[in-house]
Amino acid sequence: MPSLQTFNTTRARSYVFRLPLFTRIVLLAITIFWLVGLQSAFDLRQWGALIPKEMGLGTLYRMNTFPFIHLNVWHAVMNVVTIVPLLERFEGEYGTLNCLGLFFGPLTTIPAVLYVVVERIMGLNTAVMGASMWVFTLIGIEAMRAYRHNPTFVLAGYGIPTWSTPIGILFVVAALVPGSSFLGHAAGLAVGYAAGRGLLKYLAPPEKIARWIEGKLNLLGRLPHYVSIDQKTYGRFGVLPSSHAGPGAGGGVPLGPIGTSALALRRDPRMLKLPPYISLLCILVGAVWLFLLPLNEYSRRTYISENALLPGQVHTYFGGSDQNVFRAYKHETNSLIGKTNTEINDKLEDIVRGLGLKTARQNFTYKAAGRVFEGENLYAILQAPRSDATEAIVLVAAWENVKGEINRSGVPLTLTLARYFKRWSLWSKDIIVLFSPDSIAGPQAWVDAYHDAHDTRRVASLGIKSGALQGAIAIDYAQEQRFQSIHVVYDGVNGQLPNLDLINSVVNIAGGQMGMGVAIQEMWTHDDRYPDRLRTMLRGMLKQGVGLASGAHSGFIPYHVDAVTLRPFGEGWQDEMAMGRVVEGTFRSLNNLLEHLHQSFFFYLLMQKERFVSIGTYLPSAMLVAANFTIMAIFLWMKSGQPVSGKETCSETQQPAVERELFLPIGVVILCQTISAIPLYLFNHVPESTLTPLFIAFLIFNTILPLLISSLLPTSSTTQQQYSLIKSFSLLLLGMFLSSLATLNFSLSMLIGLLSAPLSFVRPFPSNIPARISTFILLNLISPAAVLLGSAAYWQTSITKILSEAAVAWHVCGTWSAVVVWCVWWPAWLAGCVVVLGRPVEEEEQKEKKA
Amino acid sequence: MDGKVTIGRTAGLYIGAAVLRLAIFTLLPGIPDLLTGRVEISTPVTSFKRLQEGLFLYNHNVSPYDGGVYHQAPLFLPLFSLLPNASSYPIFTYLLYIAVDLLSAGALWKIADSGETVASALFTSPRKEKRWNGFIIAAVFLFNPFTVATCIGRSTSVFTTCAILHAIAKAVSGAPFSAMVAITFAGYLSLYPLLLLPPLVLLCYDRQRIERGIKSVIPFVATNIAVVAGIMGLLFGMSYLITGSWEFLTSTYGVQLTLSDLTPNVGLWWYFFIEMFDSFRSFFLGVFWLHLSCYVGGLTVRIRQQPLVVLTLLLGIFGIFKPYPSISDTSLFLALVPLYRHVFPLMRYTFVIAAVIMYATFLGPAFYYLWIYAGSGNANFFYAITLVWNLGQSLLVCDLMFAVLRDEWEVERPEMAGKEIRQI
Repeated sequence: MPSLQTFNTTRARSYVFRLPLFTRIVLLAITIFWLVGLQSAFDLRQWGALIPKEMGLGTLYRMNTFPFIHLNVWHAVMNVVTIVPLLERFEGEYGTLNCLGLFFGPLTTIPAVLYVVVERIMGLNTAVMGASMWVFTLIGIEAMRAYRHNPTFVLAGYGIPTWSTPIGILFVVAALVPGSSFLGHAAGLAVGYAAGRGLLKYLAPPEKIARWIEGKLNLLGRLPHYVSIDQKTYGRFGVLPSSHAGPGAGGGVPLGPIGTSALALRRDPRMLKLPPYISLLCILVGAVWLFLLPLNEYSRRTYISENALLPGQVHTYFGGSDQNVFRAYKHETNSLIGKTNTEINDKLEDIVRGLGLKTARQNFTYKAAGRVFEGENLYAILQAPRSDATEAIVLVAAWENVKGEINRSGVPLTLTLARYFKRWSLWSKDIIVLFSPDSIAGPQAWVDAYHDAHDTRRVASLGIKSGALQGAIAIDYAQEQRFQSIHVVYDGVNGQLPNLDLINSVVNIAGGQMGMGVAIQEMWTHDDRYPDRLRTMLRGMLKQGVGLASGAHSGFIPYHVDAVTLRPFGEGWQDEMAMGRVVEGTFRSLNNLLEHLHQSFFFYLLMQKERFVSIGTYLPSAMLVAANFTIMAIFLWMKSGQPVSGKETCSETQQPAVERELFLPIGVVILCQTISAIPLYLFNHVPESTLTPLFIAFLIFNTILPLLISSLLPTSSTTQQQYSLIKSFSLLLLGMFLSSLATLNFSLSMLIGLLSAPLSFVRPFPSNIPARISTFILLNLISPAAVLLGSAAYWQTSITKILSEAAVAWHVCGTWSAVVVWCVWWPAWLAGCVVVLGRPVEEEEQKEKKA
Repeated sequence: MDGKVTIGRTAGLYIGAAVLRLAIFTLLPGIPDLLTGRVEISTPVTSFKRLQEGLFLYNHNVSPYDGGVYHQAPLFLPLFSLLPNASSYPIFTYLLYIAVDLLSAGALWKIADSGETVASALFTSPRKEKRWNGFIIAAVFLFNPFTVATCIGRSTSVFTTCAILHAIAKAVSGAPFSAMVAITFAGYLSLYPLLLLPPLVLLCYDRQRIERGIKSVIPFVATNIAVVAGIMGLLFGMSYLITGSWEFLTSTYGVQLTLSDLTPNVGLWWYFFIEMFDSFRSFFLGVFWLHLSCYVGGLTVRIRQQPLVVLTLLLGIFGIFKPYPSISDTSLFLALVPLYRHVFPLMRYTFVIAAVIMYATFLGPAFYYLWIYAGSGNANFFYAITLVWNLGQSLLVCDLMFAVLRDEWEVERPEMAGKEIRQI
């Protein structure tokens, strides 16, 4: 019988084609009777069913017809499915002729008589039909046979006789199958038991006669699929070759073909050579995948997903006399340059109050890298004339941008816009105007306090608030002369991005409606060909990976407030009014929103202002890189369970897995993870002036530490297996962290994954000292510290600046890139170095020592 | 491992565990509140925040169950109102939770030292030499990150854990009455431990039979059940006196039985019942509870020779399939698993299990973040990862069961020791 594990279509097909003759006849008869039963002129079921009250001498034919007649197609199908394997087996053993004799004789009539008699005695008259009585008879015979080989099975210490299982089936069928005849089945089963006990030989036609008939008629030669009586002598299982390994072989429990082949495959020495190549392939495919993304086939054009936005569909009226207002405000703000934060805020508050807006101020103080960032935010709320204050959009103008330039045109433009917006009655969302002293700490403090997520010791709470923030636009307009294009900055803290719809709207309004250029990722010119697309994408990934705040909008994004910074650049003919119209258009679009921006993508890589790849397309590359570590970890674990002296042992003998010594490897990996807290704490908590000496000290420490750890390992007893396990656990952790990270910050995960890819392939060099030293030096070149140094050199900044920026981002914005570098990447690198420097002892050597 | 465990080492372990927890409580003041809010740790029936709410109502002479926030046993209220206010003097609460953890570790130590896992009354493992002593078992429990996180998150499930471990410890040391009292407390606190009663009674019976020569099982079982019923009645009576009504029954056990609070957790129920049409709700509640309890009979019968194995496996299964599971249930299961050090070599998927559980541990919070905070994921993200988490746990349960059965089988058929076999 085909069991589930060995099922395949060719086998099933051949099984069906090999069905013996009597089984085929039964199948054919059931089908024909079913077809006959389809018509309504003649009630076949009434004619052929076994009805106790109808039984008489003239209706004895019912005793042989009822098994072929079924109630409906389902009844027939179910019975056929159950009876075919049983009948096929029975026929294979007893021969077609015997089957014919038995099933048109005693095996059908005896249960039928039994049934009728019992029904009559009980005064019932239930008609039965269907082959299921045969099924039970056959099951009964099978069960008795099994009982002879294997009398009991043990359950909880009690021996239960194997013949009792059909009774269980009987009850289950009676309970679960509607309309099944318990009595009929029981009669069948009883006869089956009796036949199985050995009564069958009295029931069967005499063998001599059967043989004579068979021989005379040459049935074997004439009939296809005929099973001879002779086969019964041996039973077909004794003679015919079978694909199953005999149960006697090795005295073990037989394995199915799949089981054996899988085990054989697992033991195949070639299997153990494969994973490093798979791993390498994963890295290569992951990296190549990235470079395919800018192609037209893999990236898509952007589109507006949220229909409510309707970008560029409204007339913008900003301009005209607002030009004069702008000039006046500009004059006022120019006079403020060089004044203190409080003085500036006093003046601005005066102006905004004069417009009729409610204002409030907020103090904040951050301490990071020995520096103090303090200041006072000023903000004003323009209450929407058309709604209650449940939603708001924010217009941010920082006094200084990220580069420290004063927002000379941005602040007056914001004032002008506030005055202009106040005159419109169409706003359905409150508009909050925020003037912050700087571009990072101020907006961050404000948005933290707005969501009550601030530390009250450092950041004051907000005096007045509006509703849920739906979007924010920051204006960074330090340029005094006319501009050509707008630069859209969209990177948020920790690589989070605003909804793509917001960027699309700005691009649509500025580029489409206003006819000015739009740039992203500081690509001032973009020819929309492969190199430029790739460069844009890589710049975006790098910024995302570093996870620093890139403008006044960055702090908003972690709170699920979609925000961008708009920065005019270049020399052209667009004036401040054009910039104002872009903001007006965007605000009008945001004003249309019925619900929070959610339609479009949150995970994407932009490669041109109108071209992007979404997470589904790019995530596999990072996941492949992360998977390579996991594959190697599993491979090393499997390998560590194999006996070392594997060359002589052939795959035939079963080898139990070697016991693994886990304590040392786990200890080393935990040690590496634990000491990673030290650089994380130090680099985030020392003052800026000590950062450079600290970094140099760390660089030295970083080089010595692996040497130190590996010299502390007991050289006499640390085996190759333990080094494999150190690497396995460390790579497992790395793979795990990186795949989790890939869902949060794809670029960082990809970056770290590629930089630590060599760690998959390091191994100890027990005897080859030059190889060990050169690998160690190579590893040192890709250490986190060395990479920091290298990137500082590449971008021509000082390492102090990078580290202090990171510390500021850690304390102010809550950037956790530092955690990833120091607590994910660095420990993995450290463990890799320990493995490279390891000097494992050979197994034999160790055994000798023990002896 | 040397078997000697000096008093110094014992004290060192307990002090170390206490200092670690106290350090996290005091040096990182943000962590306890953060963990208390995590859905992986605090479920509606164990949350410390909800306990605070109940306590506030109780102290102001309002029924603690008003408002439908508090779903925990009434006897917590007098206990916690004895302590000074948790927000102004949190140290007392911290000390209480640390003490409970240490008590649990002590009970675990006793279970380990009894050697019940390797040699029960009816079965002695051929691998009994290879086991860990109580020191290691207690250390694994106390320094398990899940246990530490549960303690820091001040989930009230630590009390249930403690009661269950004490029930087992008393049972293996041959004190059925104390064991029944302890399990009744556990059942009173969170209902599901009552399902552990059959194997626990059998464990008591096996232990008693050797020592006192008790012949008949029926009177023994009847006495124990009477004890449980009596103590339970007593506890209910006290609860009635405290709250002044029987309302607590529906608000505590009723919530567990009907899953009326659908706050996400690491279990499998909440998502199903969020999606379900109301007309099917009661049917599926029945199915889910039946499914949870159907393991009890089968396992108790099948592994009759080793009742402690049944208890361990059941705790693992409850950690997966109970209505409001949390990592606290996993930590209880993981506390008992090292007792089976002797069958670890027979387990086949240890690495896969460890990897799956660790992956789920890291991806779970990441996906929850994407769903709730970043808004870029949805509920399916978190539910998918809870499926993975439970897959890891169920793999562990299955693998442990396989190892234990294989161990039993090798006693029956010594010639098969070390050979490869396959479950069919």
